[in-house]
Amino acid sequence: MSAKSKLILNIALLSALFGLLYLFNRYGSGYQIRILNNIAIFITLAVSYNLVNGVCGLLHLGPNGFIAIGAYTSALLSMTPAEKELNFILTYLIWPLSVIHVPFFVSLLAAGAVAALFAFFISFPVLRVRGDYLAIVTFGFGEVVRVLCNAGQSVTNGPLGLKGLYPYTNLWWSWGVAVLAVIVIQRLINSNYGLAMKAIREDETAAMAMGVDASRRLMLAFMVSAFFSGVAGGLLAHLITTISPGVFTFVLTFNLLIMIVVGGLGSSTGAIIGAVLFTWGGEALRVVEQPMDIGIFTIPGIPGMRMVIFSFVLMLVILFARNGIMGRQELSWDLLVSKFTRFTRTGTPL
Amino acid sequence: MSSFFSMRRVTREFGGLKAVTDFSLSIEKGELIGLIGPNGAGKTTVFNMITGRIRPTTGDIIWKGKNITRLQPHLITHGGIARTFQNIKLFDDMNVLENVMVSFHSSMRSSFLSAMIGLPRHRREENRIREQSIAHLEEAGLAPLSSEKAQNLPYGIQRKLEITRALATEPELLLLDEPAAGMNPMEKIELAAFLARVRQSHGISILLIEHDMRFVMGICERIKVMDYGLSIAEGTPEEIRNHPDVIRAYLGGSGDTPD
Amino acid sequence: MEATILLQQLVNGVSLGSLYALIAIGYTMVYGILRLINFAHGDLLMVSAYAAIYGIALFSLPWYLSFPFAIMATGAIGILLDRAAYRPLRQAPRISLLISAIGASFLMENLALVIVGGVAKPFPRPNFFNHVIRAGDLHIQVLTIYSPLITLVLVLGLLYIVFKTRVGKAMRAASWDFEATRLMGINLDSIIAVTFLLGSSLAAAGGIMWGMKYPQINPFMGVIPGLKAFIAAVLGGIGNIVGAVIGGFLLGLFEILIVALLPNLADFRDAFAFLLLIGILLLRPTGIMGDRPAH
Repeated sequence: MSAKSKLILNIALLSALFGLLYLFNRYGSGYQIRILNNIAIFITLAVSYNLVNGVCGLLHLGPNGFIAIGAYTSALLSMTPAEKELNFILTYLIWPLSVIHVPFFVSLLAAGAVAALFAFFISFPVLRVRGDYLAIVTFGFGEVVRVLCNAGQSVTNGPLGLKGLYPYTNLWWSWGVAVLAVIVIQRLINSNYGLAMKAIREDETAAMAMGVDASRRLMLAFMVSAFFSGVAGGLLAHLITTISPGVFTFVLTFNLLIMIVVGGLGSSTGAIIGAVLFTWGGEALRVVEQPMDIGIFTIPGIPGMRMVIFSFVLMLVILFARNGIMGRQELSWDLLVSKFTRFTRTGTPL
Repeated sequence: MSSFFSMRRVTREFGGLKAVTDFSLSIEKGELIGLIGPNGAGKTTVFNMITGRIRPTTGDIIWKGKNITRLQPHLITHGGIARTFQNIKLFDDMNVLENVMVSFHSSMRSSFLSAMIGLPRHRREENRIREQSIAHLEEAGLAPLSSEKAQNLPYGIQRKLEITRALATEPELLLLDEPAAGMNPMEKIELAAFLARVRQSHGISILLIEHDMRFVMGICERIKVMDYGLSIAEGTPEEIRNHPDVIRAYLGGSGDTPD
Repeated sequence: MEATILLQQLVNGVSLGSLYALIAIGYTMVYGILRLINFAHGDLLMVSAYAAIYGIALFSLPWYLSFPFAIMATGAIGILLDRAAYRPLRQAPRISLLISAIGASFLMENLALVIVGGVAKPFPRPNFFNHVIRAGDLHIQVLTIYSPLITLVLVLGLLYIVFKTRVGKAMRAASWDFEATRLMGINLDSIIAVTFLLGSSLAAAGGIMWGMKYPQINPFMGVIPGLKAFIAAVLGGIGNIVGAVIGGFLLGLFEILIVALLPNLADFRDAFAFLLLIGILLLRPTGIMGDRPAH
């Protein structure tokens, strides 16, 4: 298929998406809009997480740290001094944070930039190791960030967190960022940069022997991923309007891990599918944790059941269908066309 | 000692065990040198030290006037030394073309930002890389297999791809670790011809490790023999063929005999 | 700082360290053979604590029967964990094993949450463990003394098994060269099962003592101690049993002393352990005793 046809199809697809969003924005319920916002934010998170874990092949267990950094950065910059005063009742917020106040957009950019900066510094220790050790060190990073948020009262307000954030996040922001993230990250993956990352994943020694500076390439992936995680963190903060260290625990990382593994480790399409499935599914499964009324009976809610189901699904996938839904393949127009022609010819798309 | 490439009294110890002892070698521009010896003689260790995969315990490696002894592998490749591996290390999940395109990564001048934004400048570079990669594949006769996954290729083709991939880094010195291993006689003749063509068109020097004596004697101008980490002989194929130490090394210990 | 307070804290540190040591051994043994970080290992603490409680509550066992029951049950669950989550992935890429371990850990924690509910349960402290020793200004819980002693006995027992029995020899062989051991006709799956059994049982013992020390137990109680025990194992040299014990005691001392000397930074208690880990991996990845590089 020619590049021009693909471009037209992509524009058509995006138009349909934004048309749909317009309809939901106008006529949808608050509940539906919240789910759609969540889906978009997790698409951004999953696709950027997949860049490090799927494309580069590193087991990075600390995205919750970058999301937290982005969330707090964005919140602290977007809140008015008055709102900050209301929040910081135990200690004073340090200057200049106490007086700074920027538009939402700027706060998002800053969220991404600060997260990327942390990624830059942390990549020096992290990229000295691989495999299990990289997993543990990144996990440690996530934990350290959370602990610092808890303890750094004069910056983050400690365990109390930040409340009353203005709900800037709407469908346009969340989906706009998601679409941008997918396009930009996919472009990177399809470029020679992505090729170098995949080569590192396949065989780092051989990649270096072919002239690839592995540490630098991995650092790039790490920073790009952190940037979008930070921005998504900012969006999340202004969606749920209350953030505290407890929001950014390892459970958040675990959810992202499920999304990209079930979707297919290494595939951005898979990450998107995983994000949609688990955000939607998570909402749907919420009923299991609430009491249910069936006629005269009330089935009590089972807290924790959702996570049991999620963990169980993850185990099933990793044990029996390791490649997930998409494997490493991406959904593309060419692929759809070839499946379609095969279907019309043989009656099956496979 | 050559000013092109020389290893000077290089030793590598692994916790008391000397894998390579006092090894010296020099290569002039355009030479084709063979490195032979029984299994475990330390030949691959020599390769690993030249390419920076491991560090010599003592000794120096000089390349075009620069001391590259402690340099990282990718920088050594940038400096013009490329290699293949004893156990083929292709990028299995990538296709033939992609395997070669990786070698051009270090030549990229457009930034990752221009890749992410999609600037025409970046697209032009990607096209350039693609074209150059295809040219290399055509030279090796592998162009028709461009979209095949590397892990699906027959063994002999995989070896050839590894060599092509290394050549794509535009080296001046190429290190080949058992390039003819597992090949049938027909393939070996083709490989010898391929190497001759490549030497002529690219003007590169080659250092190769091989166990097939006929192959080595057939194409190498000079041969260095190792045993137990030491260099035990060096000379023309004629000289080596009849060298008493070499014959003793092969007949007395493990490994194959020179035919 | 006063001598008595320092002494008190030292004793506390050694006691806490003994618990870390017991748990760290399990991590290090499994890593030695399978090169796997068993993320779910820390949760076995929790399993044994609940098993002990249910032994008393459901089966009306006295504590000196319920505790061993809990240890055996947890050992069995350790073997089950390997069978279900790790054995099918022996030939799979490492990343799959790690993900399976994380999944198993979350599954165990949340399954426990579903079964026992989210309210913390009190853990029994039998009178045997309940005295307080007074020596001048020192007040020491007798449990604080017993923990390191029990740990020492258990560790000596383990070392005997590992170094003086045929099974132990097979375990050591497997940790040096997996494939070669298999080629010698040794049933690797059995050896691995024994490894899990031993490691899990020790963690179970640690879990019971932990429950007596901090008597409020909940489904997630194993998370932080498990992580710290892992750090202890790395500190001592991952794969090395004696290293794990040393690492455990050192970490316990380090943690208690930091909090004692810098009380303002008490909140950062957990972060210190992670910073220590990052430090070790940067400066000396092989750990104190290790000769196995950390990759």
